[in-house]
Amino acid sequence: MEVISDSSPSTHYPVAHKSISLDIKGNKTDIVICKHDDNFLVMVTQIGCMGTILRARKEESVSVDPTFNVSVVFGKRDVPYLLACARQLIEHISSCGSSRPLVLSLGLKDHSPGTLKDIISAVIDNRLW
Amino acid sequence: MGRHLQVHLIMASGELNSALHITTDAQCNGKSKTLEDQAIDSSVQITCFTEDLHDVALHFQIIRLTKQIYVWIGCNTARFGHLYAAAATQPNNAVSVTSLIGGSSDNTGSGIARRLVLKTGLNIVLACNIPKDSPMVEATAERKLVEKLRNLGYVKATPEGMRATLAGS
Repeated sequence: MEVISDSSPSTHYPVAHKSISLDIKGNKTDIVICKHDDNFLVMVTQIGCMGTILRARKEESVSVDPTFNVSVVFGKRDVPYLLACARQLIEHISSCGSSRPLVLSLGLKDHSPGTLKDIISAVIDNRLW
Repeated sequence: MGRHLQVHLIMASGELNSALHITTDAQCNGKSKTLEDQAIDSSVQITCFTEDLHDVALHFQIIRLTKQIYVWIGCNTARFGHLYAAAATQPNNAVSVTSLIGGSSDNTGSGIARRLVLKTGLNIVLACNIPKDSPMVEATAERKLVEKLRNLGYVKATPEGMRATLAGS
């Protein structure tokens, strides 16, 4: 079951956010997406804390194809699927016309590709970019 | 098909990480919402508010997870700012803080992160865009934030009690 709540930002509060809760492969997953002036924050948790925090940026490039830099800033550095997840999301952000970087946190019970694919779909379906 | 709702209360009982777990049915949720914009999920609570001071507007976002609190503090703008993580670590549960994004030469906000761990007993991730060399803004932001955390029930121990607990363990 999916529960979505949107922020209804007052004219004064400047950060839009959206939070959803859904089941992914049997694990209850909470996703929060925030839009700041200069980046997007996506928080995905199944374990009650933020878990591994990654940063993904689009790099300035003279060539037509954009390049991206993805790195872990906190947490597990030996799970390539987490980097792949961040890479997919930053590429989607870029394809939607935004060059803002992404801060992504993944606190997961299950790091399988299937779970990460479902997470990416859920984030994209509820994106703020 | 009722949703399983878990409410975690962190009680100061001498153990830094002791928790009382209460499980209630979703239909019997007696949690009250505050006046500010607050989204309540079964394990994620988001509180957003703004404090208007004379010359600055301070924006706050508090995301309460089961075992951690994420806070963003914005000074006038919605820029993300520097990101810090703070937690009680060995030895003796002393609080450690590290900057994750930015903050290498300007660590405005790192002190706030550290003191939040002392007050809440939880791991803290803090994003803060308060400009450097603004100690008054930083102090005011921390005061407003702690006041709100107290109202929300996330601060359980007195500062003295928590420090004694951390020092003595």
